Amino acid sequence: MSLAAAVAGGFIGTLVLTTTLRGASELGLTRMDIPFLLGTAFSASRSRAKVIGYALHFAVGLAFSVVYYWIFLAIGRDGWVVGGLLGAVHALFAGTVLVNILLPAMHPRMGTPFSAADSAPLLEPPGFMLHNYGRATPVVTLLAHVAYGAIIGGFVHLAGTRCGPR
Amino acid sequence: MTGPQRSTPRRCGAGYAPIRDYAAIGDGRTVALVARDGAIDWLCLPDMDSPSVFGALLDAPHGGAFTLAPVDPSETERRYVPETNVLETTFFCGAGVVRVTDALTIPDGGLTPCRELARRIEGLSGRVAMRWAVVPRFDYGQRGPRLALRAGVPVAVDGRDAVAVCAWNAGTPRIDGPAITGQFETAQGSRGLLALAGTHQEPLVLPPREAVEHRLDATIAFWRRWTAAGWYDGPWQPAVRRSELALKLLVHAPTGAVAAAPTTSLPEELGGERNWDYRYCWIRDSAFTLDALLRLGRTETAHAFFWWFMHASNLTRPRLQVLYQLDGGRFARERQLPADGYCRSRPVRIGNGAVDQLQLDIYGDLMESAWRYHGAGHDIDRDTGRRLAEAADLVCDIWRQPDSGIWECRSGPQHYTHSKVMCWVALDRAIRLAEAGVLPARRVGRWRRQALAIREFIDRHCWEEALGSYVRFAGSRDEVDASLLLMAVMGYHDPREPRLHRTIDAVRRLLGHGAFVRRYSGGDGLSGREGAFITCSFWLVEALARTGRRDEAAVLMEALLAMANDVGLYAEEIDPSNDAFLGNFPQGLVHLSLVGAALAFAEPDAS
Repeated sequence: MSLAAAVAGGFIGTLVLTTTLRGASELGLTRMDIPFLLGTAFSASRSRAKVIGYALHFAVGLAFSVVYYWIFLAIGRDGWVVGGLLGAVHALFAGTVLVNILLPAMHPRMGTPFSAADSAPLLEPPGFMLHNYGRATPVVTLLAHVAYGAIIGGFVHLAGTRCGPR
Repeated sequence: MTGPQRSTPRRCGAGYAPIRDYAAIGDGRTVALVARDGAIDWLCLPDMDSPSVFGALLDAPHGGAFTLAPVDPSETERRYVPETNVLETTFFCGAGVVRVTDALTIPDGGLTPCRELARRIEGLSGRVAMRWAVVPRFDYGQRGPRLALRAGVPVAVDGRDAVAVCAWNAGTPRIDGPAITGQFETAQGSRGLLALAGTHQEPLVLPPREAVEHRLDATIAFWRRWTAAGWYDGPWQPAVRRSELALKLLVHAPTGAVAAAPTTSLPEELGGERNWDYRYCWIRDSAFTLDALLRLGRTETAHAFFWWFMHASNLTRPRLQVLYQLDGGRFARERQLPADGYCRSRPVRIGNGAVDQLQLDIYGDLMESAWRYHGAGHDIDRDTGRRLAEAADLVCDIWRQPDSGIWECRSGPQHYTHSKVMCWVALDRAIRLAEAGVLPARRVGRWRRQALAIREFIDRHCWEEALGSYVRFAGSRDEVDASLLLMAVMGYHDPREPRLHRTIDAVRRLLGHGAFVRRYSGGDGLSGREGAFITCSFWLVEALARTGRRDEAAVLMEALLAMANDVGLYAEEIDPSNDAFLGNFPQGLVHLSLVGAALAFAEPDAS
């Protein structure tokens, strides 16, 4: 099982994930924009925030590919199906805990259900499964993450190394 | 503003207080309406667009309320604690005087309830027997909760929602059928406290007394700091300040969206069908909101609103929806509730069917907002500029279509004059923004040609010489519309242009009723007749002030300010025959137009 293949898969997977979300946004399906959400934690300038956000998003995408690799290693299985399943779990975690609880708690410009009159946040909170950003957002996010996971799983599988007896 | 007046609270036989008798308190998430008799008849939890837990405003028998008053008959006098959104109601009765201070508290750093309503009761003189009752009815009164004691505190539970009632020195709470009740007696210098702690999808937090007392004081201090941060010191400052505070109540803090009003279905005609849900953010109000916020020095709130605005409209770009949910959502499906209705005004609606209408004027509002935001020195990034350019292109494509107009008429589309004017505004501002380098300039030639075509259309088809005025829609002979006053506000004509002056006079002549102005003449597809639209009256003030007729404008302004209720708030409409408020309350657009009218006097005189 190859870590390099997982990281390469993470890079391509992040490209696909970002492009899928951007495409869905252009089609009017969602207002979800992960680089924008990440970048505005560091800058209130939209342009600068997007540049920072894209860099961060790729870094996070690569980091998650290492986590995927560890999981493949731990369970002794890989491939696009297992990767896709992991991607689905990843999407559920992202839509519930990560962006709904952790991100608003840490993001200095994001509102939370507890924001009151004494604050003026610049970003609306995503809501459960990101539904505040459009009703199709949960589905789009799920599909994008499944694709991300499947690509990593597929890359690791294609690298030809398997872990454990089959 | 008429100021504090002592009077006996009134309710009609069916149990409804006059809309004029309400005051609003809020915390940036939700708003409660407190009647002159001390009853809280409207509170939605956790947010102002959530279902109500106290909905007696729309269903006196079944909606639920939080009453608090002397047992014996009393007179009351009210005011906001100066420069705050915290309400003081003083009860005068034979046995003594009691003051109740009501606030939705702002959370501090500690473990606070999700939402908290605090009611402090102070004995000022004598010994006064007091009685209170909390009757929670969730989901607009459709569901009675389970009542129980938790850690000795009475709570009402309904699925993922719950409220707890804490009482200190205000009688022992008892569960009494569908209500949690208490009785106590005040003495001079006594101090009691009631707190309603609400939650949604979380365990309840039961606050200790000291924490509630502290938050109530801190909330007063917060509002004072917020008010002091404004920089308006022009004419009619108290009314402008109160309007700022009222508008701040309508800002949904988690997202920055500004609701049109915190209520639904308060009728535009008593007993009639003109009852709408205003707990949404209208694109139309955006230009007025941004302009007011920026010019009043509320830069943070203006930023938050512009970000929300561009983010929310991203989903439908380049097309805009008429309105959006406060969380930025697109859906506002209209449905009717089986409620009694305010003074039997039915139907009670939630959701708003106008969401599906084509209203061309909102593109002008979008571009005007961007123009004002840019004009105030704020950055518009390239992506946003590209989206604005797409909207300008869309206006070129669709301005020839009939639409439902600013008033969201349900009588079928027309070529409304105001809509065409705002299409011209959209292209005019787009051209200016392109010249400033904010929008891509490659399509400016088309925008110029189409802007000219719109002006030709308006001047050829929307002007009626026999009437001496622009008309409500192309081809009309004798119908006028108060939205034509916005031609002066939006700079469609030079302030000295005779057609502008003649139109202002025609609107006043044909739609005026004393100081008030109705929205339009002619039909709108609904039965009955509404009151005078207070916003239009302030638009008349602004139009007069901007066209060099300041003396007339000032007289009218004074008359309108005298029509606010005792705490300085306005509903959407007023019945000119008896000055009764009608429509949703308090209404943001009225307070925005009040601010706009006052600010017009601060600008150079066009004469």
